[in-house]
Amino acid sequence: MQKTKRNTFTAADCLLCTLALLLALGLCVLLGSEPLALRDMADALRSMLTGGEPPIPYIASILSRRIQRSLCAALTGASLSLCGAAMQGLLRNPLADGSTLGVSTGASLGAVAAMAFGITVPGVPYAGTMVTAMAFAFGSLLLILGLAYALDRSFSTHSIILIGMIYSMFASALINLVINFSGEKIKSITFWTMGSLADSMYRDVLILLMALAVCGTVLLFSSRALNAFALGEDNARHVGVNVKAVKLTVLIAVSVLIGVCVSIGGTIGFVGLVMPHIARMLVGPNHRRLLPVSLFSGAIFLLLADLIARTLLGSRQLPIGVVTSLAGAVTFVVIFYRTGKAGNKRC
Amino acid sequence: MSKKLCSLFLAALMVCCAVPVLAEGPAVAVTDMMGREITLDAPVTRIVALTAADCEILCALGCEDVLVGRGEYCDYPASVLDKPSVQSGYETNLEQIIALQPQVVLMGTMAQSVEQVEALEQAGIRVVVSDAQNIEGVYTAIRMIGALTGKDAEAEAIVADMQAGFAEIAERSQDTGKTVYFEVSPLQWGLWAAGKGTFMDEIAGLCGLTNLFEDMDGWVEVSEETVLARNPDYIVTTAMYFGEGPTPVEEILSRDGWGRLDAVMNDGIFNADSNAITRPGPRLLEAAWALFDFVNGEAAEEPAA
Repeated sequence: MQKTKRNTFTAADCLLCTLALLLALGLCVLLGSEPLALRDMADALRSMLTGGEPPIPYIASILSRRIQRSLCAALTGASLSLCGAAMQGLLRNPLADGSTLGVSTGASLGAVAAMAFGITVPGVPYAGTMVTAMAFAFGSLLLILGLAYALDRSFSTHSIILIGMIYSMFASALINLVINFSGEKIKSITFWTMGSLADSMYRDVLILLMALAVCGTVLLFSSRALNAFALGEDNARHVGVNVKAVKLTVLIAVSVLIGVCVSIGGTIGFVGLVMPHIARMLVGPNHRRLLPVSLFSGAIFLLLADLIARTLLGSRQLPIGVVTSLAGAVTFVVIFYRTGKAGNKRC
Repeated sequence: MSKKLCSLFLAALMVCCAVPVLAEGPAVAVTDMMGREITLDAPVTRIVALTAADCEILCALGCEDVLVGRGEYCDYPASVLDKPSVQSGYETNLEQIIALQPQVVLMGTMAQSVEQVEALEQAGIRVVVSDAQNIEGVYTAIRMIGALTGKDAEAEAIVADMQAGFAEIAERSQDTGKTVYFEVSPLQWGLWAAGKGTFMDEIAGLCGLTNLFEDMDGWVEVSEETVLARNPDYIVTTAMYFGEGPTPVEEILSRDGWGRLDAVMNDGIFNADSNAITRPGPRLLEAAWALFDFVNGEAAEEPAA
């Protein structure tokens, strides 16, 4: 790794990231709980591409399941990681993430409420839960930041995380309350709160892709402003950044992305927290490189986590949250410990 | 080159279109318990059953050989344990099910999702949902699975057997005026009871007992105080004993404040065979006989079962 870190995401970076992503995707399609012969898979893939009749139909079906699931995992990982990186930059807080700030739980609450009270968008299936999840994610974020601001004008790391945690518990309690009164729908709601990528469909892939294309572009175009935020809001204002507008755009984009991810795969912890840090270690703090690298590394991380979840114990699948949280919790502690120590030295 | 491909494709298309014309009407047509129509050209020869009750029904029909995979909780008859076990619920392993190449997957509604059904159907596997909530529902499930496997006569025989058995229990029981409390979940996990519309409620009625919670629908979470206040004459616990600590009956006897209940004072606590009484399958009849025998004690004449 060279010492002087480049400032932009170059074509070479892009190529490298894409290759790594394709490699991970390929691995996820080739490996699974059912060992399949390479030859059979090649035949099945060829028939899928040419539209012909697959020689062994069930192998094509299995591959199709793996492709849908892996695409969902990659897009979810990319979105969550990008959101984490953007929020960490905006709030200048290394622990900011959808799960630590309570945004994911807020989105869950929205989706659960939509299911319990039958909120739907006429003519568009699943849109009701998704839109309410987004709205609740945004509302939660505003509420948490508002409370944190009222408590502590300096927006210190600890008070935001503390309020996020408290809000998370509060929202979980409300979720349980809604579930308790949901009667017949209790099964589908409980099922939903557990979240899983196991039943991903192309429809989900499409929705995730559209959300990431729009919000991802918005976030990536905010990277220069986020760089200015790194030296404080005042500093950003002085160099000509429209602080309010940037804040609002980033928060809306983040809420929409987290809302969509949560309503498709449930809450998946720690991806958004951990991956931006790893990306920062690799390419440094400049958001013009950090954001795209976070996006790719998040996708690769969740792909591999999902691969472990569905192959580690043979035909028994683990919930993906188990894998991401195990890996994430350890990294979280390490980061907290290291930044804490650095802070003490400065004092 | 492309012309060649094109004509090949056309030929393939024509073959595909021709097949349904040649085939006669479907040999098997059933409506599953979610109201979905399922038609098959022939009785099923490869099936995966995810719920324990459906697995028991299949085996009772003599179809153990068509079972190519079973849900992880299917354990009766013991011989099904040799079949590949498939994860069910929210982590259902779709890939494993597809690899077993069943024509039909039998699943319940508990913790299964619409997306799972959709994904399986995309893979060319028919999903048949069974969802028995009461004894009549069990008959429907047995007939439905019988139709799927081409064992209609066997299914009718099992249903007739069960009907005759339940009728005999009802005939030999008088209305005792006594109440029974079905404890589905013990105190340590919060009390859950069987309310109205459950097969336990029906079995109580057949044995001449009144369900303590007949005023509530389905499976209900109840408070300890309500049980104590309603003072049941019998307590049926479906807890399983794993050979450690107090047995479920001892545990109830040791509960603080429960000593004054009629059920406790008159030895009215019965530990039912959990699997027989909680699975909507053919063994419900055995469970009913067991309760009948317990309620009637020595006074009962030789039970038929």
